[in-house]
Amino acid sequence: MSTKDGLLQRHHFLLRRLQSLTGIVPIGVFLIMHLTTNSTIAWGGANSRAHGDGWVDRAVSTFQHEVSFINDMPLLLLIEITLWVSIAFHAIFGFMYVLSSSNNMTSYKYGGNFRYVLQRWTGMLGIFFIFYHIATLRWGWSWAIPGQTEWSHEFASSTFAAAIQGSTEGYTGLGLLVSVFYFLGVSALVFHFANGLWTAGITWGLTVSRGSQKRWGYVCAGLGAGLMAMAWVSVIGFATLDYDRALDAEMGRSHAEQTLPEQQHKETVTQASNEEHNGG
Amino acid sequence: MSEAEAYSYDAEMRKENRKKAVAGRSVIFKIKRCDGPGKPMRWESFKVPITDGSNVISSLNWIAANPTTVDGQQTTPVVWDSNCLEEVCGACTMVINGRVRQSCSCLIDEYAPLEGDVITLEPMTKFPVVRDLWVNRDRLFNNLTRVKAWVPIDGTYSMGPGPKATHDLQQMRYALSECMSCGCCLEACPQFVKVEDEEKWDNAFIGAHAISQARLFNEHGTGKRLKGERMDELISEGGISECGNAQNCVKVCPKGIPLTESIGAIGRSATVHSIKKFFTK
Ligand code: SF4
Ligand code: SF4
Ligand code: FES
Repeated sequence: MSTKDGLLQRHHFLLRRLQSLTGIVPIGVFLIMHLTTNSTIAWGGANSRAHGDGWVDRAVSTFQHEVSFINDMPLLLLIEITLWVSIAFHAIFGFMYVLSSSNNMTSYKYGGNFRYVLQRWTGMLGIFFIFYHIATLRWGWSWAIPGQTEWSHEFASSTFAAAIQGSTEGYTGLGLLVSVFYFLGVSALVFHFANGLWTAGITWGLTVSRGSQKRWGYVCAGLGAGLMAMAWVSVIGFATLDYDRALDAEMGRSHAEQTLPEQQHKETVTQASNEEHNGG
Repeated sequence: MSEAEAYSYDAEMRKENRKKAVAGRSVIFKIKRCDGPGKPMRWESFKVPITDGSNVISSLNWIAANPTTVDGQQTTPVVWDSNCLEEVCGACTMVINGRVRQSCSCLIDEYAPLEGDVITLEPMTKFPVVRDLWVNRDRLFNNLTRVKAWVPIDGTYSMGPGPKATHDLQQMRYALSECMSCGCCLEACPQFVKVEDEEKWDNAFIGAHAISQARLFNEHGTGKRLKGERMDELISEGGISECGNAQNCVKVCPKGIPLTESIGAIGRSATVHSIKKFFTK
């Protein structure tokens, strides 16, 4: 009889459940927020309070507003590190999972088995994508961006469009490749999340009966479809965004923010001069 | 039971085949053979005349009496394991046309309705081969002892009559009690991989059958006395968290046992058990 006293052995269950948990909190929750933010490039034009005249200008401006908001968050680095560590943990243990199994899709062509295999492939594609995504845009590995352009959170839409289109002047061959990679990457991650949420129901023992597993399956499929739609419009939105137009909108927006309304401007000035009087 | 949906889809196909079956035909049995543990595998084919109601075991009997391959080569009789011949012992489980199932209940009419049709027979891949189609399922039984799949009644005094059970509980447990330890659920499970070294069995995935049996005995009035010990084993390495929810097990179980429900139920017990342990131990 062998013993179970290695570190990984002793905490086996805890580690597996943590792997499951990290997939939902914080990673899954972050995914939902991230896709909501990013998809503003598609629907942000509907935001009537955004600066800009056309649909695209308002979308760019809404997206910029979101990005700036995130960048102004306190302890942002701490949030980021929590995410990175969670993703690394989830991925490393996920890999160990993959290595310990043996797929048998050829003999047992069941839907569940197909999702099981897909869950592993999307996980591997997904982590590769996330790494590229964070490395190029957050850690500044711009050598890995086709046109060697750099992403800036102050010009979030235009610089990102350039990063996935391959240049500031529209598509290049490599740019097209990166756009397709983004499309596949986000699709894989959304599937991975939705399917993982479904299996987590069984893993944690929330869905026990067949009926409940089925119902929870519909909920996850619905959520997955919604997220998939957001993911796709995000990628398509940025992949088709005109660099110059986006840059103009971003410039116009930052200019607008620094300019106060006329009336208010006067008040501030008079107030200041009054104070000067009193003080003098 | 609707648990075995894919199984019943196959049932449709098998019914069709049964209608097509040609009387007086011969079919080819392509068999993966192996002379003993560690020996190489090889394929041999046999042409077997089919009579009314022939099944895989009766065909293997015929081959044992006529061990000549299709090429006219004289060979040794093919070895297999069987016992009840009515799909209740699980001994004859093998991989037939790529899918695991019992061979005694496998009618030739359903698998090879026409002259010259081929049926492939292979030993299960997750257990060590003893010889030809005969495998050693010791690990399966070992895993049942890991979760103490029994009701503890040994003692120095009579425990009196057993506890009363509600009708619903009986129904639920009855379905689970039908397990015949055949190993189909393990053969089809992508997370249950073959482990040669006996020493390592206790750290490797325990399998859907043992998870389900743990639930069967956890839900028994007297059996639940061992629930804590069962759950300790199930939250250790090789326990419930090894399951990847591919749900193949439930599809191939010949007894239609709701294995994925058992996995969910034990998952719930594991959640509760580990939280309890965190705060009380
Ligand atoms: S649900 Fe779990 S036990 Fe059943 S086949 Fe899948 S991994 Fe194996
Ligand atoms: S659970 Fe079903 S497939 Fe698994 S050993 Fe029992 S009867 Fe066989
Ligand atoms: S011989 Fe018992 S199940 Fe086939």
